[in-house]
Amino acid sequence: MTLVDGAIVVLRVVVPALILPALVIPLVWVERRVAAFIQDRPGPNRVGPFGLLQSPADIIKLFTKEDVVPAATDKFLFLLAPSLAVFAALSTFAVVPYGPTIRVAGKVIPMVGADVSVGLLYVFAITSLSVYAIVLAGWSSNDKFSLLGGIRSSAQIISYELAMTTAAAGVVLAAGSFRLTDIVAMQEGTFRLLPVVPRWNFFPQVIGFIVFFVSAFAETNRLPFDLPEAEAELVAGYHTEYSAMRFGSYFLAEYINVIVASAMTATLYFGGWSLPGFHPEGWLGGLLGLLIFAAKTAFFVLVFIWVRWTLPRFRYDQLMRLGWKTLLPLSLANLLWVALLAIWRTSR
Amino acid sequence: MERLIFDAAALVAIVFAGLMVAGRDPIKSVLALAVSFFALAVTYVLLLAPFIAALQIIVYAGAILVLFLFLIMLLNVGPERPDGVRRPVQTFLGSLSVVVFAGLLLGMLRASGARLPGQPEAVAADALPDPKALGRLLFSDYLLHFEAVSVLLLAALVGAFVLARRENAQ
Repeated sequence: MTLVDGAIVVLRVVVPALILPALVIPLVWVERRVAAFIQDRPGPNRVGPFGLLQSPADIIKLFTKEDVVPAATDKFLFLLAPSLAVFAALSTFAVVPYGPTIRVAGKVIPMVGADVSVGLLYVFAITSLSVYAIVLAGWSSNDKFSLLGGIRSSAQIISYELAMTTAAAGVVLAAGSFRLTDIVAMQEGTFRLLPVVPRWNFFPQVIGFIVFFVSAFAETNRLPFDLPEAEAELVAGYHTEYSAMRFGSYFLAEYINVIVASAMTATLYFGGWSLPGFHPEGWLGGLLGLLIFAAKTAFFVLVFIWVRWTLPRFRYDQLMRLGWKTLLPLSLANLLWVALLAIWRTSR
Repeated sequence: MERLIFDAAALVAIVFAGLMVAGRDPIKSVLALAVSFFALAVTYVLLLAPFIAALQIIVYAGAILVLFLFLIMLLNVGPERPDGVRRPVQTFLGSLSVVVFAGLLLGMLRASGARLPGQPEAVAADALPDPKALGRLLFSDYLLHFEAVSVLLLAALVGAFVLARRENAQ
């Protein structure tokens, strides 16, 4: 491996890992501005032009505040939990293809961190670890509100993970592969019967998409499913006892999770970086693919924000009922439907 | 390099499994087991079985252990305290089984030769055993076993349900 190859690998892997947390800064501003727009008020508009410097100011505040560790906590786990949250959020993105495979100066560069054969399973493996960050925070805080938040979170994430995985199994069945680049590749072009419609999984699997996207809200602990931190009942849930940047890490993890969940939705159901009629060539094609991927992801991030400021929080029993009695059967029906489609396609 | 990571991961898996048994606090025991599973997944990756590694994390660390944590936290089980009672019979039987197990392990290692299978460096990423092949095998050669296991799981599910219902009725 030459120096250039090594540099390319570093760029492929390290740059997304640095950009994701950096994206959170404007994202918090977007969330607050959109929230204000939905609620018919100005929103943060004092610090810098359009309030753009509000987020940097908040970050300086979070970093310089006193980091309080309450006396009766389990110190090691209390300090470990926030970093676990950020770790899980960041490492999920490693297998998501954010652009096409391009050839520049005789080198083949796939625009993905690591193109592994079990890509989608890896994503689910890492996201299932993110529950530890919340449960451990809840337990180690030695506080009843935190503990309740942690217990809720463990039950919620296990319940919705089931529906989410079953919905995503439909995509795997259609593509015949766990590899995310294969999943993007099979969504290129248009349907043979309807040449104007892109071959996105969204169209044949709209039920799977709905289940996946709704479950994504539960997995990222966003409203209307943010019961682990429901401030009306639990103060701040699992992160009640956290302060300064340890508290900030949970925010960071939540926003990275929103970006990753949006990117996964775009990849699994909306063709990732591909568009019908778009054949990437050279570095310009790579850049265009990256922009298409970013645009699709940004759209779903906006939907996440839009839903948060539109829907009220579910009650806990409603949340459980929705997960087990509605989403899980729907995802199973979707799987059956995709299996029928696959049989039909192979029998022709 | 691979050998070094493999040995480190194996060591972590064994040490944390030991911590799981020795720990007095149930929550800490579950976490030690989670670390052990994680290290085990690393060894699976190095044994060219990324599919098994992913399942190891999803099913064991991600689902079963989280359920354990959920129950322990819900019932608020505290650390166990030694009750001061000596149990000579149990101690004797325990030590005996450790010796027997160690002997078995040594015998197996002798018989198969303790070395890493495969040639991790030479195999390209594409040549890795594919989840597709595993699925095909599971639904052809091992179909009977697969179905038998699913019936067993269903029976366990129904059994748990019946037990829970009886408790409620009283």
